[in-house]
Amino acid sequence: MNQLLQKYPQEIQTILAKYPADRKRSAVMPLLHLAQQEPGYITKQALQEIGEILEMPITDIDSIVGFYTLYHEQPGGRYHVQVCTDLPCALRGADEFLKQLCENIGIKVGETTPDGMVTIEEVKCLAGCHHAPMFQVQGDGDISYHEDQTVESAVELIAKLRDRKEAA
Amino acid sequence: MAKKLVTLRIDEHTLQVPEGMLVVDAARKVNVDIPVFCYHPKMDPVGMCRMCLVDVGRPVIDRATGEVVKEADGSPKIAFGPKLDTACTTPVSEGMVVITNSDKVRAARKEVVEFILTSHPLDCPVCDKGGECPLQNLTMAYGPGTSRFIFDEKMHLAKHVPLGELVWLDRERCIQCGRCVRFQHEVVDDPVIDFFHRGRSLEIITDSEPGFDSVFSGNTTDICPVGALTTADFRFGARPWEMVSAASLCSHCPVGCNITYNVRREAKTGGNMVIKRAMPRQNEGVNEIWMCDKGRLGYHFTESKQRLSEPLVRKGGELVPAGWDEALDLVAQKLREAGSSLTVLAGGRLSNEDLFNLRRLADAAGGQAVLDTHMGGGDLAALAVERGAALIVVNPNETRLDKFATHTLRYNPGELLLTFGGFLESAAGKVFAEAENALVFYGSNGLGLQQSTYLAYAAAELLVKTGHYGKANNGLIPVWPKANSQGAWDMGFRPASNLGDQLRQSKAVYIAASDPAGDDPALAAALDEAKFVIVQDLFLSETAKHADVVLPAAAYTEREGSFTSGDRRVQRYYPAATPRGLARPDFIITAQLAGRLGVELPAAAALVLDQIAAQVPAYAGLSYQKLAEVHEQWPIIGRSDVYYGGTGYENKHGLGVQLPCAAERGEKIDLPAAANPVLPSVPAGSLLVIPVARLYDQGATLRPTALLDGRIARAELALNPETAEKFGLQAGGEALIAAGGWRVQVAVRVDSHLPVGLGLVPRSTGVPVFGPTAVTIEPVQVEIKA
Ligand code: SF4
Ligand code: SF4
Ligand code: FES
Ligand code: FES
Repeated sequence: MNQLLQKYPQEIQTILAKYPADRKRSAVMPLLHLAQQEPGYITKQALQEIGEILEMPITDIDSIVGFYTLYHEQPGGRYHVQVCTDLPCALRGADEFLKQLCENIGIKVGETTPDGMVTIEEVKCLAGCHHAPMFQVQGDGDISYHEDQTVESAVELIAKLRDRKEAA
Repeated sequence: MAKKLVTLRIDEHTLQVPEGMLVVDAARKVNVDIPVFCYHPKMDPVGMCRMCLVDVGRPVIDRATGEVVKEADGSPKIAFGPKLDTACTTPVSEGMVVITNSDKVRAARKEVVEFILTSHPLDCPVCDKGGECPLQNLTMAYGPGTSRFIFDEKMHLAKHVPLGELVWLDRERCIQCGRCVRFQHEVVDDPVIDFFHRGRSLEIITDSEPGFDSVFSGNTTDICPVGALTTADFRFGARPWEMVSAASLCSHCPVGCNITYNVRREAKTGGNMVIKRAMPRQNEGVNEIWMCDKGRLGYHFTESKQRLSEPLVRKGGELVPAGWDEALDLVAQKLREAGSSLTVLAGGRLSNEDLFNLRRLADAAGGQAVLDTHMGGGDLAALAVERGAALIVVNPNETRLDKFATHTLRYNPGELLLTFGGFLESAAGKVFAEAENALVFYGSNGLGLQQSTYLAYAAAELLVKTGHYGKANNGLIPVWPKANSQGAWDMGFRPASNLGDQLRQSKAVYIAASDPAGDDPALAAALDEAKFVIVQDLFLSETAKHADVVLPAAAYTEREGSFTSGDRRVQRYYPAATPRGLARPDFIITAQLAGRLGVELPAAAALVLDQIAAQVPAYAGLSYQKLAEVHEQWPIIGRSDVYYGGTGYENKHGLGVQLPCAAERGEKIDLPAAANPVLPSVPAGSLLVIPVARLYDQGATLRPTALLDGRIARAELALNPETAEKFGLQAGGEALIAAGGWRVQVAVRVDSHLPVGLGLVPRSTGVPVFGPTAVTIEPVQVEIKA
């Protein structure tokens, strides 16, 4: 059974209704967000199920998941702290910023804090180059930008995130 | 409509090419080689690799007057862009000036190569592409001797990633040109590989089951401009410079793909020439520069240890080795004795030359020439290939073609007649009737000999009724099960309406390249009743085991010959490998036998074709020289240039000759009324099953390719869930199916796309279902061990 379809029949209908019936695959991005909501990442099964709904090859969907850093291939923390280290940011010290941030938190890039709250990731340009070092925080169904950061401000923010109890 | 021509200059050449052509292609036309990685002439340009950067200038136009601004000397003033342009994405325009050989361009190439090499391993000495690698060549031509990038910061990625069992990926060597992905998406529409992640972490992935599930997967290894993709078959198999090429044809189906066998002499086979790989050979009228994996991988039968290497004669109940003279003398004597009760049964994988001589041998002895086939209608075949047409698909089950069809009609095998009867009134029928050109491709999916014969006649009638006959680009194209079934028809072989009876009543049966006993137990029994059985084959087949004399035939890869494709193009192939043991070409064996019967037949392939040309009207005027003619094809591939189309081969050995259809030769077509197809009555409790074709079947020439084991069709019964339930069958279970004298155990596959009340059985998997058949079914109880 298609569990995604069973779980979100209404939401899926609403998403599909936005696109012409013969251009179903346009709905792939919103469906991926929907599938990611609960487990926090895209499961193999979700790929299959979206493939069925949109009549799309699984490999194509997987490729989209791989391309966008907003989709996660593996379980991670409740919050993803995604630091841009693309060229302009790197020129403003993003590399060093990320290194020190990780040392302070005590995890490596791609790892999650032991309490399961925060994963630190390295991503490509987020279009905030002139305010580097910068990162975005993804979690609780929301995304926030944090620009002109220092290691201290970032550590402070992560501490706050780890203290949160329920979803806001 | 012819496109407008534009005039431009590329380096010192002034040329005229059609509007819209890309600079990179225009340059190739005047032998200016612009290096590429991501561009491929068969696919849309993407401009991803930047290797093709050139300096492009355009005439300056005065905005006020709209006139071209002139220099002092009267020549047009040319403005060059501030940066270089990619020649693969820039279309030509009037007055354009392209510079490909300046220092600026060379510097750009050097930088792009340096950049591509930042993480490339350059492990050319152990790389399968080494020797025919564009990256290696361009690195030698333009690359910097040293890199400014830090060696320790090279990305190290997985080097042995199976994308399935057929194709392997070396992630480190991939330069992210996207050719493989684009080929699967654009050219074959099997989007089973794709990009994953970005930048330096980008990799090629597949999520299909099995991995890289496309029957065209091998082509990606030809067009990959580096050694990132290799077939499991050729990986570490040989170096390109050790091999020589033999022009050939694929023998697995009637499309007639032009191929090249790369062979090398090997000590371990006693110095014989051994096939190391099969590669496409360009024929834009047939396979362009592609081939399917069945053809690419299915050549291993040539080297199979099971091949027959000497004649065998039955003595004291056993088949024992004998000399050629002894075997041939005995066969000749039996043929003479049998006279008109000789049956010669031939399979559609023999060459025209084999079939012609065999037919003449049958005639000389007074016997009958029978084609082993379950599909009829070869006498009606016409011609032509046309693109961009409306595609109407008529099938009993869902097939891949439906995806491309403009109209899809499903029929129940029981109502085949009705489908054709009412066809012209349907929407699809109207499109067909009004089309300027119409082609009917017909096959035997789900049908037996009698039904497919009827189908061919009905289709021919349809073509005649709607005026789509007797002109080029119109007609009937049979999709035969074997490479040269059409040639067999043309050489006068016809299927027997009741092969069993015919075998039983024959004094002598001569069977070449066909295995009736292996296909059908009833025919095995019939053979035992025949007085004397001669089998000429590559292998000791089931049928050969019933023989009195077994003659070892040389494989088609070991000699010359020609095949006639389904759309009636006659093409020739050349010897590639060393013949096995004492095996001889079929046409030579038959010539030697005919000699013993006092009839002289040519024993050289070219001479046999001359006789065919003289005696078979459709083949008039053909000769080996004619079949070897070539003309320049576009795109230009396979030369030692950097305009890289892949490792496929240029065609230097013949594009073949398209036969004219009967009407073009001024012959009138007789439309014999075919007997209406009779379908078996299906008693209560039985099920109607039909045979369907699978690409990877268990044919004698495919089985020796062990690499395909995991993909080969197994004996199975596919049915709709409702039908499965009715018979108490479960998906993944087993069932015993039985009909008149046979009972076979098969796997059960449940598929909701299938029509209710119908079973599908793949052909050539050991289940003797050759046409619609009523079978009884019992589920097999699987014991579950605690
Ligand atoms: S892909 Fe080409 S350049 Fe790279 S290691 Fe192989 S042969 Fe050398
Ligand atoms: S595997 Fe080969 S063809 Fe595919 S993207 Fe990489 S280099 Fe290009
Ligand atoms: S490069 Fe980091 S935000 Fe643009
Ligand atoms: S950008 Fe032109 S060949 Fe790659």
